[in-house]
Amino acid sequence: MLLHFDSQKNSLDGQFEMPHWITDSGLSTDELESLVSELEQAYASKAIIKAKTLALLADKAQIAIDADDIFQDKLMGSGIMKSQRKRWENEAKERYLATETAEMRRAWKEFGAYKGEADYGHTSPNTRLLLSVGLTGLLERVEIASQKEGLSQKQKDFYESCRIVLNAVITVAGRLAEAIRPYNVENSKALLSIASGKPQNSYEAMQLLILYFFMHEYIGGTRVRTLGRLDVLLYPFYKNDTENGVYTKAEIKEMLKFFLYKFWVAKVPFDLPFCLGGIDADGNEVTNEISYLIVETYNELNIYSPKIHIRVSEKTPADFVKLVLSCIRGGNSSFVFVNDRIAIKSLMNVSIEERDARDYVPIGCYEPAVWGVEIGCTGNGGVNLPKAVELVFNNGRDLKSGALCGVETGKIDSFEAFVSAVKKQIAYMTRRAMDYVCKIERHYDEINPDPLLSCQYEHSVAQGVDVYEGGAKYNNSSLYFYSIASLTDAICAVKKLIFEQKRYTFDEFGDILRANWQGHERERAIALRLSEKYGNNNPTADAIAVEFSDFCAALINNKPNGRDGVFKAALFSVDHYLPISKRTMATPDGRLAGEPLSKNLCAVTAMDKHGVTALINSVTKMDHAKFPTGSVLDIVLHPSAVSGEDGLEAFYGILMTYMRKGGFAMHGNVFLAEDLKKAQAEPEKYQNLQVRVCGWNAYFVNLSKVEQDAFIRQAENSL
Amino acid sequence: MKARIFEIKRFAVHDGDGIRTTVFFKGCPLKCVWCHNPEGIGAHPQLAYYDNKCIGCGECVRVCPTNAQNIANGVHFFDRTGCLACGKCTESCLGDALKLYGKEMTVAELLPLLLEDQDFYENSGGGVTLSGGECLMQADFCAELLKQLKEYGIHTAVDTCGFVTKEALDRVIPFTDIFLYDIKARDEDVHIKCTGQSNKRILENLRYLDALGKSIEIRIPYVPQWNDDQIEKIAHLLSDLKHITKIRVLSYHNYAGSKYASLDMENTLPSLLPSDEETEKARQILKDMTNFSVST
Repeated sequence: MLLHFDSQKNSLDGQFEMPHWITDSGLSTDELESLVSELEQAYASKAIIKAKTLALLADKAQIAIDADDIFQDKLMGSGIMKSQRKRWENEAKERYLATETAEMRRAWKEFGAYKGEADYGHTSPNTRLLLSVGLTGLLERVEIASQKEGLSQKQKDFYESCRIVLNAVITVAGRLAEAIRPYNVENSKALLSIASGKPQNSYEAMQLLILYFFMHEYIGGTRVRTLGRLDVLLYPFYKNDTENGVYTKAEIKEMLKFFLYKFWVAKVPFDLPFCLGGIDADGNEVTNEISYLIVETYNELNIYSPKIHIRVSEKTPADFVKLVLSCIRGGNSSFVFVNDRIAIKSLMNVSIEERDARDYVPIGCYEPAVWGVEIGCTGNGGVNLPKAVELVFNNGRDLKSGALCGVETGKIDSFEAFVSAVKKQIAYMTRRAMDYVCKIERHYDEINPDPLLSCQYEHSVAQGVDVYEGGAKYNNSSLYFYSIASLTDAICAVKKLIFEQKRYTFDEFGDILRANWQGHERERAIALRLSEKYGNNNPTADAIAVEFSDFCAALINNKPNGRDGVFKAALFSVDHYLPISKRTMATPDGRLAGEPLSKNLCAVTAMDKHGVTALINSVTKMDHAKFPTGSVLDIVLHPSAVSGEDGLEAFYGILMTYMRKGGFAMHGNVFLAEDLKKAQAEPEKYQNLQVRVCGWNAYFVNLSKVEQDAFIRQAENSL
Repeated sequence: MKARIFEIKRFAVHDGDGIRTTVFFKGCPLKCVWCHNPEGIGAHPQLAYYDNKCIGCGECVRVCPTNAQNIANGVHFFDRTGCLACGKCTESCLGDALKLYGKEMTVAELLPLLLEDQDFYENSGGGVTLSGGECLMQADFCAELLKQLKEYGIHTAVDTCGFVTKEALDRVIPFTDIFLYDIKARDEDVHIKCTGQSNKRILENLRYLDALGKSIEIRIPYVPQWNDDQIEKIAHLLSDLKHITKIRVLSYHNYAGSKYASLDMENTLPSLLPSDEETEKARQILKDMTNFSVST
């Protein structure tokens, strides 16, 4: 008999803080660590070491049982493999890239200019294959592929490592089944079933997804950044179960509560996403009965993690989109809308085949990657665009340190020369970040072989090559371009004040900026009040945004990375815009040194003076299909604008207009500045007030003062 | 042909269905005590000065052709009697403390601004609303603007107080999809007390539009101690009409105080605000006594 969620809810909460470890079920962490170091001495292949480490933990680490839950997942040793990889990464950097790593660190931590780094953490595992063939099916595929003649030692090691890790997961399933049997026979049976074959029903499918996720992310140490298209995954099981009397819809809803709540109480960093809606490889809309059920169940749970990506195509049912909008309006902002048309086109712009592109899944925040076919790695760093303006005014130097951080672009005597100098600085910073990413990627075989991920990638298994070494069909990398609005406003101000109105020379304006506008308050008021600002449907400003967004995209799209793939550009800022703002001097648009730069595709706070429609008109003049790692607009709406049936239509109208005009992704916050101020003053009364930070959510009261103030200013500007 | 416009509001979601752009025309024949757009009452351009926003930059003094703007010891002083309402100072004011209400605009100037958000209208079932003040005091202009909007297939609404000539209505009827029609009181004496004018013509015009089969959304401001005793009577009046799409009861608020001050106008706003229960009760009465949909 399955348990009832409501009666169990309270006892589920502490399961990750205080797991009930069965002490006689295995060794302590210290003992495990010493066995792992023995292993590391015994083998040469990193893939084999990694696989054997996982097998060791699967065999010998303690397990814990959640008798109050209906899903099991706990194996001790979380962190061991993550620190193993960190050590391997540091060794590789030390050996091959010591100087470059130091330079990169300074460029980011000190100058706030650009960042390039390794990323193993944005993955979209082939959970569809996992559920359709099961662990044993994956194993079979590895066996068949490994029968080929003429394999190199490396390929043999690859197949061996895949075999080891799949058996390790099967071992854990068996151990958990044994331990839970006295408390929950049905759960035990489900675990045994997935240990010996493919999942047979909704319950087993969910248990397998959970087990795979926790083994991969918590034990394997590689961040899984999406469960995939959950409605596509679960629908065949749901249909079969309800039609054949295996489970009722109500029972499946109950399971979904436990399933979703597991990720919530696990407090997965940055929230684990999954995706609903959108078209499939054939172009048919996938939204189905379970898409609605998932959203309804999620909303009833009143949680904000896992987070949900909603793919919207022209065929996505309006009532489904409105159901999600009504959740957002009700205060649950953990949904992102991604535009199928533009996302698919953007992927095709980096040579991804159309059928593959249609089966993308947003990983992490919004970045589309082909589900289980592409290895996304979308977090390789980025470039602070407004920093380029600082570099031009200081001949390539970071103002604070005086150190050379860009290129020497010299004296500027025309607007055309200024634009060209800004582009040179952006190109230079981008090149530095890309070079570093390429260099470190060439050592991924020594840092992060990942057989547990690779064995799900058909291309990888067929070739006998790890996904992190170019084994996937698409092996791509990404860089973000931060703060396009701040860059645009800065360039507009230079154009108007120096070259049109001739209020000062280039050097005089440079002095004003270096003085952080001190003693020039009147000049600052003039700069702040210019009408040529991003986000107002102003032709001058928007043309500059278009010119620079095109320029940035062309700098990296389709350029080779270090793993047999290409780079993909992104136009958003995650939460990186706050730390880099602190390291960016005063900008020509009137911003003081250290004040926040613009976020994602938003205007500089309070500078979009003509409302949300003008903002969207501005934003959609850029070609977002040139950003295959995505772009996102955060909109803040006043509750009165979206209340009632009319308000829902207006909200839907805003979203669909944004999509039809070519926007990429959007998330919405609906709240009053007044409420945020009260929450800042009396946090104890507003514990539940959630806000969309970037690709993830947070309770407002848990944000820093700076972040809170940024939200308040944005909300004040919402009507 | 030019009209005097005092505001263009985008993403208007309370002036008819969907996402709309609302154009506010200057000049109104009524003077409602609760008016929340006092800048729309007078027919002529007016300069507003928001003293809390003034940063004492003195830019206005530099550009003012009549010395209406002065600054002494960092304190700004505005002499309204000398002001021509030319608006030069509003362009240079660094604190956004000066605002001109009443800009002369042609249809050709206005139309592109209204077309900017056409995609939003189409995706939300919205359009353009003409409001005020009383837009039909400039009916010829309205007719021409509405006609051109219709040529672009845009849904049109006219928000009117109804105190206009039948000829003015006739000018816009062919190009208006819906009238947003204000009813403030049923009893003539109450209407005169609240607005300064009789409601005779307003009620005649309402019946006229209804008889022609035009869609009408009724809007009733609910103001305690002024017209709160009129709800049942209004309901009775409306129950005979055939083309009412919806009735809205608008809860009175007094947010407009700073606008009165900025224009040196006498603030006539009643101080008593309605409770949510009161306005809900008014809606319920209208719901019960008519067959129309009633909302906020």
